Amino acid sequence: MSGLKRVGLTIDGLKVQAAEGTSILKAAEQAGVVIPHFCYHPALEIEGNCRMCVVEIEGLPKLEPSCSALVREGLVVRTSTERVREARKDVLAFLLAEHPLDCPICDKAGECRLQDYYDRHGLTASRMVEPRERREKKLAIGRGLILDRERCVLCTRCVRFLRQMPGTGELGVFERGLRSEVGIFEDAPVDNGYSGNLVDICPVGAITAEDFRFKTRAWFLARKPSVCPHCGRGCAVTVESVSGYPLAKGERRVYRITARENPAVNGFWICDLGRDGRRDIDEGRHARLMKAGVPVAGLSWQTALADVAAAIRTVPGPERSAGIAVVLNGRLTCEELALAKRLFVAGLGLSKVYFADRKPGSADGLLLTAERLPNGRGVLEAGFAPRLPALDEIAAADVLLVFGPYLSEHLAEEALAKAWAGIPSKFLFSAHEGPLDRLADIVFPVAVPAEKSGTYINVDGTRQTFAQAVKPAAGVAAESAILAGLANLLALDAGGGDAR
Amino acid sequence: MSYAPSPAALEKIEGTIALYPEKPAALLPVLHIIQGESGFISAAAEAWAAAKLGLRPVRVREVLSFYTMFRRAPAGRTTLQVCRNLSCALAGADDILGLIREKLGIGPGETTSDGAVTLVTAECLGHCDHAPCLQVDGVDHGPVTRETVAALIEELKAHV
Ligand code: SF4
Ligand code: SF4
Ligand code: FES
Repeated sequence: MSGLKRVGLTIDGLKVQAAEGTSILKAAEQAGVVIPHFCYHPALEIEGNCRMCVVEIEGLPKLEPSCSALVREGLVVRTSTERVREARKDVLAFLLAEHPLDCPICDKAGECRLQDYYDRHGLTASRMVEPRERREKKLAIGRGLILDRERCVLCTRCVRFLRQMPGTGELGVFERGLRSEVGIFEDAPVDNGYSGNLVDICPVGAITAEDFRFKTRAWFLARKPSVCPHCGRGCAVTVESVSGYPLAKGERRVYRITARENPAVNGFWICDLGRDGRRDIDEGRHARLMKAGVPVAGLSWQTALADVAAAIRTVPGPERSAGIAVVLNGRLTCEELALAKRLFVAGLGLSKVYFADRKPGSADGLLLTAERLPNGRGVLEAGFAPRLPALDEIAAADVLLVFGPYLSEHLAEEALAKAWAGIPSKFLFSAHEGPLDRLADIVFPVAVPAEKSGTYINVDGTRQTFAQAVKPAAGVAAESAILAGLANLLALDAGGGDAR
Repeated sequence: MSYAPSPAALEKIEGTIALYPEKPAALLPVLHIIQGESGFISAAAEAWAAAKLGLRPVRVREVLSFYTMFRRAPAGRTTLQVCRNLSCALAGADDILGLIREKLGIGPGETTSDGAVTLVTAECLGHCDHAPCLQVDGVDHGPVTRETVAALIEELKAHV
């Protein structure tokens, strides 16, 4: 940083300092002056094709695109003079000349740059007398993405993203002039693990996701920050949900997960696996407590927790270490892990504390890590040495507490069933349905990470604290509440306020 | 669908590539060689050229579709290019196009059913001082009139 010279310039009368090599657009943004733009994206190569970002620079005869013009000592820049405003109007008029009047049925409406800018900078009536060009409106370009060529403003963000970030470059701009269009080569579709970002960066509704198309309107969505729990990267995400009114059965709650900017972790992007994590929040969830494999209505987890405490109490102090086994997982937050440590290791003196998580996948060399749990570093930091239990280690227990459904990913179901059959008391705390459900005495429905607050430490040791992004269903508890409740029932130290 | 140039064309292509410090720089001349031999450039030929030059096929398609002188489908024995850019448009290019459509029964981008003539429009043939102008297999004609065009078409028909 120290190597970068800083230069002083004036933007709209404000004295601004910016590092040499910064674009005027960025310098203005840092000073709180927002310059409208389509093609500029902070993470992509500058192309300067949309001309929406033009500004007036004292001493220069023509308007300059601020995304590509760099700051210089003493520049005097004006971003909203009459000339600039006229130019923006013209850019918008040209774009809208060939734009369909799709807003009422367009998924982007409400978060569309063209719509927003027209409202702020355009507001001109159409001067077109000719009929509009008709183009392909629902071209499947791969990975559930749909391209609408009538809506495309040819900013090439999508093309540049694919060439730069995943490096796969499936899209190009074909033809030229009026006939220019974005497309794939023959039947070679967009096919990479970061395709969903195209929907995020397309400034208009030209690239939409089948998973989201026509499902809801952008303005119905509550956007809450969270951290993706699907691998060790812990990308910053926004969970977008509808929770303002009671939902009919089968209706979606989380409509999509989008990338949230975090320069320290994921930049501007997330992978498709993380984006698809919306299903993890809404699908295959336990909504109710289960006893002996059957959901029971009207039984609260607080009441049922007494059974767990009672089972633990049946094991006399000196035998606990061998008689009680606990299986934790790396989806638990640092706070929950600390609580678990205090309760199970310090409080109850257990030695059989194991871990079971999703099986590792393969890393893609970009964001996705081989590790498919979000808090592996948090597990170590809490002082655990995570180890998968062997079948007979579980089978020997009198009381078994399992957090998460992941054991069944590692041990054969039939063998597990046989081992569990011999354990007098076994309890499962799981957000998702799975093969273990029928084996446990009681299944407690627990929250998924998006429904919790807490801290994760990613593979690089970056700590991220997040707040609750969606409310869990009634009767679904976070593990923190369950662990604290258990400590309470057993009259053990839950460590003060951090349990809640 | 596959493509392979003739040994002679391949030799020419490789010689051309060798002229440039970077392989991708040879894209335009390579496409010309392919079209020169096959009369058009198929998708398979695009993919072949891409592999040869270390480019993605998408990139070849971008370049190929940008220029009007490349053909992506087999053309007729004669190619008629009519300019419709500013000078020619003002001098009556639309009228000329209308006449050709009337006489040959094809529009821009189409080929007569007997495979004799392909009609395309061009954005400036560099012949504005002879507007309206057209090219027959690369040979300039202009300024043309309804009469000269009618005669030209008779000649083309007779030629077959
Ligand atoms: S599809 Fe979207 S991102 Fe791609 S060029 Fe068109 S408007 Fe830009
Ligand atoms: S890279 Fe990992 S943390 Fe990031 S979105 Fe994908 S699965 Fe989630
Ligand atoms: S943002 Fe500067 S030209 Fe598009």
